[in-house]
Amino acid sequence: MEYSSEVVRRCDAPRRVGELPRATPGLSSGEAEDRSLQVWVRFELQVQDGVIQTVRFEAFGCPHTVAAADLTAERLEGQPVNAARRVDAKELMRELEVPIEKLGKLLKIEDAAAACVSGTATRT
Amino acid sequence: MRRREIYLDYAATAPLDPAVAAAMTDCMTREFANPSSVHDPGRRARRLVENARAQVAARVGAPAGRIFFTSGATESNNLALQGVLRGGRARPHLVTSRIEHKSVLDTARALEAAGVAVSYVDCDAGGRVNPHDVAAAIGPETALVSIMHVNNETGVIQDVAAIGAICRERGVWFHVDAAQSAGKVPLALGDAAIDLCSLTAHKLCGPKGIGALYVAGGVLLAPQIHGGEQERGLRAGTLATHQIVGMGAAYELADPAAEAPRLAALRDRLWDALRAVPGARLNGAAEHRSPHVLNVTFPGVEGESLRLALRDLAISAGSACAADSPEASHVLRGLGLSDPLAASSLRFSVGRFTTEDEIAAAAGRVAVEVPRLREVAKSAPRWCSV
Repeated sequence: MEYSSEVVRRCDAPRRVGELPRATPGLSSGEAEDRSLQVWVRFELQVQDGVIQTVRFEAFGCPHTVAAADLTAERLEGQPVNAARRVDAKELMRELEVPIEKLGKLLKIEDAAAACVSGTATRT
Repeated sequence: MRRREIYLDYAATAPLDPAVAAAMTDCMTREFANPSSVHDPGRRARRLVENARAQVAARVGAPAGRIFFTSGATESNNLALQGVLRGGRARPHLVTSRIEHKSVLDTARALEAAGVAVSYVDCDAGGRVNPHDVAAAIGPETALVSIMHVNNETGVIQDVAAIGAICRERGVWFHVDAAQSAGKVPLALGDAAIDLCSLTAHKLCGPKGIGALYVAGGVLLAPQIHGGEQERGLRAGTLATHQIVGMGAAYELADPAAEAPRLAALRDRLWDALRAVPGARLNGAAEHRSPHVLNVTFPGVEGESLRLALRDLAISAGSACAADSPEASHVLRGLGLSDPLAASSLRFSVGRFTTEDEIAAAAGRVAVEVPRLREVAKSAPRWCSV
């Protein structure tokens, strides 16, 4: 399997891994998984005045999944909260040069981010 | 910082021994003639081929005249299975196991498509095929049993002596894929109840692209490649003299009695270090294993991410021949591992040029990367690690 340099860089040193303190004001979380694809993703957002201040993630998945979750966490910070509903797996694929067969895994990133806003978790 | 590369993938292939390279270079530059030619240069090349045949035969305890050169163990496995079962015999049934190399399993499936019945025997949780299960699978229509000597993913040694004895008693030919064991685990084909045995050079510090099939006297095989009388009509094609010379040199250099204790000590030292990683578990029976292969599961770590994190270590998820497949290892699933656990497993294999320093450095890298990746998936659901 080939990986873009950006995927390798983000997997070697993801910057937003972890959890936010439970007492964080404006904390919301969402997760999604697909056992058949062996992928699980969880995001936690700190939202203040409708704006995402801080994002943390955890992921059990391939390097493309981890890198895409890290990129998503970075991009969401500073965005209106509804941006979490508009994460686009295909855009992540293009940016990180992810092969098409990994699209199903990246769709779980969309689902996990959206679940932070809707308060639902998706499991397949 | 660029890390030092450490090669621990000898079960996939081994570096060419300098002495083998020297023998091959000498052959390529001096003795280029076709060994089937009757002129003097051709006769000299023929002598090189026959010397190599004797070297290979001596290492596996077989008469030289029963060794037939092929392009490698994959071709040898194809020739053995198809040569017997497409040979017009009246008994169209093959018995093999679910944990064989793809070159056996895919050939078995091709034979099934051609109307041959195939029985697949399971292994136990330790990766061993029970000879009684093989006996139970043999029927009146069985022509051939094919069981590997050493499993390429787990290093577990199968009881080929017991299985061979059963086959002999039942009047069934027995094929052994010894690609992973020849030259590493003692093998005396002339004394064993083995009728066909696949060998390769490149896992023994020899060249790629050359192997052999041992065919016991009286075994009838239909050739699979046509177009010449080379190898007594069993395998057509101009003999690759330099490759054959390389294989002969590699088999002469290999000395399991001397090398196996050192490799086993390196393997055990690696396991002693890796078992300190929380949750690490050994795959395959501890008491029946080749000296060079170690297969370890690290639960809670996604396999592809682990291999990327450890890319400075030349190690495998399983068979190199299936490295591009997204499927979990059929061998580890055969041992009862779930897909996540099978995917979280790594095969380490040591060889002639592996050093103690490399073992220590590799174990150190794993001890850093496994906990780091577990932190990335710290709250992951239980299915990720069971």
